Amino acid sequence: MSLLERTADLLGFLDLIRDELGLDLSVQEAEADLDALPAWDSVHLLRLVMLIEQETGRRIPVASVLQARSIAQIHAHVVASAGGGPR
Amino acid sequence: MTTTTKAAAGTGTTAATGSPTTTGIAAGNGNGNGPGTAGATAAAAGPGTTAVPGTGNGTANGPTTGLPGTFGTEAAAGTAAATRTPAAAGTEATDPLRELRRLRRDGLLAAQWPRVPALLAELTDAGDREPEAVAGDLTRAGRVLAALDPDEVLTRHPGTPLVTVAVTGHSSTARLGDPLTAELARHGLLARTVTGDHGAWLRDLHDADGELRRCRPDLTLCLLDAGAVMDALPVPWTWQDVEAGLARLLERLTAAADAHAADAAGTLVLNTLVLPRTVLQQLVGRHERALLGAVWREFNARLLRLTADRPALAVVDLDPLVAEGGPATDPRLALYARAAYGEQLLAAYAREAAHVLRARHGLTRKCLVLDLDNTLWAGVLGDDGPEGITAAPGTLAGEPYAALQRTVRQLASQGVLLAVSSKNDEDAVRPVLRGHPDMQLREDDFAQVHAHWEPKDGSLRAIAAGLGIATDALVFADDSPAERALVRSRVPEAAVVPLGTEPALHVARLLADGWFDTPRVTGDDRARTERYRQAAARAGLERGSGSYEEYLHDLGVRLTLGRPRPHEAERIAQLSLRTNQFNLTGERLGADGVRAAAADPAGLVLAVHVADRFGDSGLAGAVLARYADDALHVDNFWLSCRVFARGVEQGVLAVLLAHAAERGLPAVVGRYRPTARNGRAAGFYPSAGFTPVAAAAGADGALCFRHDLAGLPAAPAHLTIDSDLGGDDEPARTNR
Repeated sequence: MSLLERTADLLGFLDLIRDELGLDLSVQEAEADLDALPAWDSVHLLRLVMLIEQETGRRIPVASVLQARSIAQIHAHVVASAGGGPR
Repeated sequence: MTTTTKAAAGTGTTAATGSPTTTGIAAGNGNGNGPGTAGATAAAAGPGTTAVPGTGNGTANGPTTGLPGTFGTEAAAGTAAATRTPAAAGTEATDPLRELRRLRRDGLLAAQWPRVPALLAELTDAGDREPEAVAGDLTRAGRVLAALDPDEVLTRHPGTPLVTVAVTGHSSTARLGDPLTAELARHGLLARTVTGDHGAWLRDLHDADGELRRCRPDLTLCLLDAGAVMDALPVPWTWQDVEAGLARLLERLTAAADAHAADAAGTLVLNTLVLPRTVLQQLVGRHERALLGAVWREFNARLLRLTADRPALAVVDLDPLVAEGGPATDPRLALYARAAYGEQLLAAYAREAAHVLRARHGLTRKCLVLDLDNTLWAGVLGDDGPEGITAAPGTLAGEPYAALQRTVRQLASQGVLLAVSSKNDEDAVRPVLRGHPDMQLREDDFAQVHAHWEPKDGSLRAIAAGLGIATDALVFADDSPAERALVRSRVPEAAVVPLGTEPALHVARLLADGWFDTPRVTGDDRARTERYRQAAARAGLERGSGSYEEYLHDLGVRLTLGRPRPHEAERIAQLSLRTNQFNLTGERLGADGVRAAAADPAGLVLAVHVADRFGDSGLAGAVLARYADDALHVDNFWLSCRVFARGVEQGVLAVLLAHAAERGLPAVVGRYRPTARNGRAAGFYPSAGFTPVAAAAGADGALCFRHDLAGLPAAPAHLTIDSDLGGDDEPARTNR
């Protein structure tokens, strides 16, 4: 299963965040405002973006992903621009 | 997973247990044993997957447990495989990264910390993976490890060597923590990282009461990038502005390095600045661009030269790391996260930083153990015969091996000892080493040659014993994943160089880790191989002599004791770094410390030269002492293991006792502080008639022993001693 397939749904995306960034997030936390997640920062976001880019060979426009206010929104952005789509 | 081992005999049932060995920093790699390694890994993998022993599974046991005979020879392993479950290659069951993540998820990481070095050794033992992929996985492993509180590990494993690393820089250094934690953990070192505020490096380095300096770091990393000069310039700027900015920066860095050295706060690591093309191309004039390039490199050159007279400073040259590892930066990281450098460069930098620390703590490896077939030459000697193997320079098949041999010779010329461990007939190997036209390395270049069919872990132990060094001073390079897995598993303290199936990459693999890095190479290093050859000749004499006393007598050992000559300060500092077994306190002394002690009227530094009929062992011992009214205090005594068992230490002590008596002092007091490695010297003072000073154990665990000079011991009769301790109470005598 490719990375993109594995992360097509939010739970898979949270698995990726746990493995790659060392952050354990619940679905509830993923849907909360980023301000409620002090452990999260833009470096985390860029790491994720780059990882997915390496996998897909496609650029994800970071500026637009940076507008997202929650992990769930980031997920939607990333999946949409990486060529998949949230199920 | 790129497990390609042929020796795929299932050892999924091997449940390694044993008490984790925690050691002082001098002991280097922690042993990676712990409960539930291979078996647990296989079980966790679920049905249809099998542990692959070729990847070691982190079962780092002593020789008596673990993988019984699995790797005796490839043939034997094949037989074993036939009778056991064949391994499913490429399973993720033994993926060390996965295992680390599982340990974190299950909350077992702190408890199982002693397994970490072996897991990371397994992760990096990937001769046929792209180095970038391995580095990426190592950074991921670091992410898992960095999330762990070092205190939690220390609670469970109190002896784990801990290093405090202070990190500051011009841009964000947040992403350096992961690769740094992983690189230090590879060496068995637990990292406590203290991070400064980015942009505040100047304050961090200067402020003695600031957070960074207060934590007394073993290592201070100040990661600089082009922004350190460019951010301070007005827009538009000219190359002359850059030149002036670089001059200011160099001034600040010099002052920071001096302040750091004055504080004796571990090693400070700076780095050269990479010139980004996005800076260079902002100048459209080719002439101006060339001048910008020139002033930039002049800054880097001056920065590198700062290390010449600053032993506490190291400068990591980023240019070769960028040249090998691709882009230095990612514009998005730089602009959105203020992170100047990309993941690959940070990983390479972290590796260098860990080796700086190793070298400063005397953990330099001493001997490179090489396989022969498909490592030093193309082909298999036993199958192809001497005519069928090649390492001929300039030929398609031979050139990669010729390049490796040239590289190995280069290392050897600077004091790296060489040894052979090969599954071959010795009778076939010796003539090749002596006379094969392709060989650039000859029999004499190797301090030990072990060519036979016994398992290689035994060869490694025999090589270390033969050279009088510890197995954690060995680096083992082999193209066979099975042999490497065996060594990782049975001699986990030896470092392993994963040579892959592509021989053109052998040189890069060999040099990927700075295993032999040392603060400075001395003349003594260059003569080391010759000395070990002399040692072999001595061993021959010993076998031919009747008793050990007769042997010592025949050896004709001569000691020369005196105050060090100016050029010998470096050598004494190096001796204190490299000496572990006969280092009576485990303490090290820098060249500046040697000079300071030697210049102190109340101080006494002695250089001990040892020679015998087979040659000169050079400056092989040193004493650091102080004159006081109550005694001559011997604060430390270092003796190289190459002159052990020749009565040298007894001879030196006899001279010191006589000297103290001559000066009218009432006693000599010797200091011994037990370390993980100097146990053999524990009885040194008592055996020479010293008595323990009651309740004198200091806070640092040092024990004191006193000799009242009532009866002065004679030096061993087989020694010829020439001593001139000088001293200012003998003004009439000159020691020039």
